[in-house]
Amino acid sequence: MHPNFFKQLLLISQFELKRGFATRKGLLSVVTFAVVWYFILLYPLRFAADLLVQEKGLNHNSSFLDFIGFGSLQLWPIPEFGVFWQFALLIFPMLSITIAADQTSSDRKRGTLRFIVLRSSRDSLFFGRFIGVLAIQAILIAATAFSTLLLVLYRDATLFSSALPNLFVIIVNVTLAVLPFTAMMAALSAKLLSAKQATLWAILIWTFLAGIISGFAHYLPALDFFKFLIPGYQLSALAQLSEWQTLQLAYIPLLQSLVLLALGRWIMARQAL
Amino acid sequence: MNTPIIQCQRLNHIYSDTVALSDVNFDLDAGEPIGLVGPNGAGKTTLLNILSGFLRPTSGSVKLFGYRPGAAELIGKISALPQDARLDPSFTIAEQLVFYALLQDLTKPQATLEASRVLEAVSLTEVAQEKPNALSHGMAKRVAIAQALIGTPALILLDEPTAGLDPVNVRTVRTIIAEQSSMTTFIISSHDLAELDRLCQKVLLLEKGVLLPETISRNEQQTETRFITLQMETCPALELIAKLQALEGVLQVTNPQKNEFIVAYNPDLQPSMDLQVMQCISTNHWQYRQLSHGKTLEEKLFFSK
Repeated sequence: MHPNFFKQLLLISQFELKRGFATRKGLLSVVTFAVVWYFILLYPLRFAADLLVQEKGLNHNSSFLDFIGFGSLQLWPIPEFGVFWQFALLIFPMLSITIAADQTSSDRKRGTLRFIVLRSSRDSLFFGRFIGVLAIQAILIAATAFSTLLLVLYRDATLFSSALPNLFVIIVNVTLAVLPFTAMMAALSAKLLSAKQATLWAILIWTFLAGIISGFAHYLPALDFFKFLIPGYQLSALAQLSEWQTLQLAYIPLLQSLVLLALGRWIMARQAL
Repeated sequence: MNTPIIQCQRLNHIYSDTVALSDVNFDLDAGEPIGLVGPNGAGKTTLLNILSGFLRPTSGSVKLFGYRPGAAELIGKISALPQDARLDPSFTIAEQLVFYALLQDLTKPQATLEASRVLEAVSLTEVAQEKPNALSHGMAKRVAIAQALIGTPALILLDEPTAGLDPVNVRTVRTIIAEQSSMTTFIISSHDLAELDRLCQKVLLLEKGVLLPETISRNEQQTETRFITLQMETCPALELIAKLQALEGVLQVTNPQKNEFIVAYNPDLQPSMDLQVMQCISTNHWQYRQLSHGKTLEEKLFFSK
């Protein structure tokens, strides 16, 4: 590995962060996201959490929540984080497909990547962009988690010390959940010529992969193993866990990401720029 | 003996079923600018893209300074002006040039200074804080040339550097190449043969993906036959040819284009043929526009058979 590899990796990922938060387009996306999140926080999240607090006070066994598949909400000692956990596992992987769709595609179409690969290796470029886009998502996840913490403290300021470990677990876990989606988009973006194409292909591949593997596995249970290839495979199981237990399934997104990044690197190394 | 800066051996590239390069072999040494010419679709851009590391050849071997294109060892050593490549529209010109300089391992203050220097070289300091979309085609081209100059690389590959530029900026590019050619070897692909004639001592000719064996060199001192190219104001062509052919040492006079004449002569019989030709023009009260030694590049490449 070239001695400048990590320096270039850092420079390229910093440049991506700048694109995410310090360009007009990036800022517009962040503001839009903040507005949408404000309403999610203010209405569904706050109301749902209030409801759970009241239910806990009444000491119900909430069979209704179990019935609709949200029984794990009661496992979280701080209801706001329980609701946030369910929302985050749904929203952030979907958001990842759009945020991470244009890691290299439009720059390749425009020829901008040529200016960069004259000065850095393709590996630095590929992994630098991936890390940058992942960092942007991690910051958004952390920001939303902190806003949920503020909501908790607004209700009961004494919960601060018990809320902090939950906050950390959620940030780490949701970031892990978006990891394979970001890696999948990195690989697709290295091959396709626009973010739109990458998003469409991601949806198609994900749907067909999930459908075909599940279909075959139904008749031949030995194929069940291949479900591990589907990004987000662990999300439904993850939603049923709470607090530190959620890290039990961390190996799945990590392995998926390794496979997808290896594939993306292979594509990038052979791609005409 | 110097090691060639570029070594290509049995280089082939095929797009789907179209052969873009076929068995291209050549070695190039560092030195004066080298031209790369050929008709549209000859494979010039493909060759430059392979040398720049943007494209992997289908087969064959390419080495730049002893390394394969795209190797980390070449960072800062080679640069390029890719055809039709544009900067990122989200960032200012200065931000991107500084970023490129940082990738070339310059420190932040050095990178800032270098970005200003290269913009000044292409007379575009005033656009440093503009976004690429605010630039005209010509300005964008000059900015792309500026990025190629960052860090004063040893080899710069320029694909159509003057296409779309106005005459003033063509001259600016020519001056940059002339000024930097003592430190940098330029390889210039262009259809502007007059431009290459001015800049290059050596020209490679590609045709249908094949590198033709006759590499054109400006040095005609050793040849037995020399040429003078004469451009006249309106004059009686047949009479002029007859008068020139009557001069001692003249081997042949041709008239390839209107008012343009090429005089082939034996320098052993008449070493100062230029003076004889001018004397002849003056005696007959004709007017000439230009007289130059040798043939034009166009004539050498495409019509000297």
